[in-house]
Amino acid sequence: MSARVTVALRVNGRAYERVVESRRLLVDFLRHELQLHGTHVGCEQGVCGACTVLLDGEPVKSCLMLAPQAHGHSITTVEGLAGRGELHAVQQAFRDAHALQCGYCTPGFLLAAVALADHGVALEGAALREELAGNLCRCTGYQNIVEAIERYLRQAAGGRRDG
Amino acid sequence: MILRPFEYVESQTVDDAVAALRGGGDDARVIAGGTALVPLMKHAVLRPARLVSIARVPGLADIAPATSGGLRIGGVATHWAVSHATLVRERSPLLAYACARVASPTVRSMGTLGGNLCYGESASDPAPALLALRATVRLHGPGGARTVPITEFFTGFYETALQEAEVLTSLDVPAMPAGARWRYLKWTPRAQEDKALVGLAAMLVLDGHRCRVARLAVGGVGASPVVLARAEQALEGQELDEATIARAADAAAGEVEPMDDLQGSAEYRRDMLRVWVRRVVAGLAEGRAS
Ligand code: FES
Ligand code: FES
Repeated sequence: MSARVTVALRVNGRAYERVVESRRLLVDFLRHELQLHGTHVGCEQGVCGACTVLLDGEPVKSCLMLAPQAHGHSITTVEGLAGRGELHAVQQAFRDAHALQCGYCTPGFLLAAVALADHGVALEGAALREELAGNLCRCTGYQNIVEAIERYLRQAAGGRRDG
Repeated sequence: MILRPFEYVESQTVDDAVAALRGGGDDARVIAGGTALVPLMKHAVLRPARLVSIARVPGLADIAPATSGGLRIGGVATHWAVSHATLVRERSPLLAYACARVASPTVRSMGTLGGNLCYGESASDPAPALLALRATVRLHGPGGARTVPITEFFTGFYETALQEAEVLTSLDVPAMPAGARWRYLKWTPRAQEDKALVGLAAMLVLDGHRCRVARLAVGGVGASPVVLARAEQALEGQELDEATIARAADAAAGEVEPMDDLQGSAEYRRDMLRVWVRRVVAGLAEGRAS
């Protein structure tokens, strides 16, 4: 029996290959094998969303996914958002709206927001909060988080119309 | 949370998966999206020695039209894929909507329709929809392929008709009749992403005010998701007036065996089911569809 597997995937556009124990969770793979510490570990049971990353563009909870399940896929983590010295639009929106306090939940919210924008979703208010149900903020700064994401989604939708 | 070690087998075909499951005996488990399985492993409720992944079997995530006008949905199609597929939205909007109500977006894009059903949870969102639609489950095991009507698939508390070393390969979902009115009502007393305390799927076909077809099923109330057969009978062939609808609601409340737990008492569940059957059917009768 082999409890080790080869995991080859792309993270933020870069190819990686590691041989790991099959029980390795994707979040631990990112943090411990690839030293990408931007993806946070909160509840470890699929509730808080701190560990949210994009898998082929879809938001997933990396604490619920085994590393071998991600084999062959493309992952985006918070480290993949900012360009050279420039914040990603969603990061800028968070900064402008003062949408982070301790910042622990922020990477998860950022990626959840990017997934919404990429799907052309431009929600506000209650409907947006419903879409963000999988992300919790322990500092409870939801008002500003929702405002930042509303701004970002409006901007992303505007960009699509203009472009 | 560190999991116990296990062997991970990536299947290339359904037959591979069945062979690997047989080889692993009681200690082998299928993994598709993992959203139910991985947390259970973290809490050591399950301690499989071998996980057999079916996530990459070619064709198993396909959503295809069936010649009957219905759909065939692969077992590892995600809730997200099912709820967004144009084909499902056109032919089976009730199912598309129910899949869009599963947990949170992150869980929907990982979890699969087949996994949801094989988990056998009462508060499944797609299960009542598929029961109301009278879908058929396709299974593949050591003895070959077989089909089970979904009305016979859920056999008890987290129990299904799935036998050892069997894999759910696809679902056949009949098309909804033209003019069908439908609704999936997910009653969660606390937050949106909670499990349903009452997950009621309803589809009605009316001739004027007379109900020609009534399909009702509910999850979250009893030990498994069930068809509300007596409530359906109370509606079919009848004029949908207030008294008939109230009779159907009473029939529904009378035919379930509600669970009693921290989410709600058995009586609360029974009462809420009565309330929601009445409101949902009345709403559909008045033309407030979906
Ligand atoms: S750490 Fe993954 S959802 Fe909380
Ligand atoms: S900012 Fe502290 S948890 Fe959200």
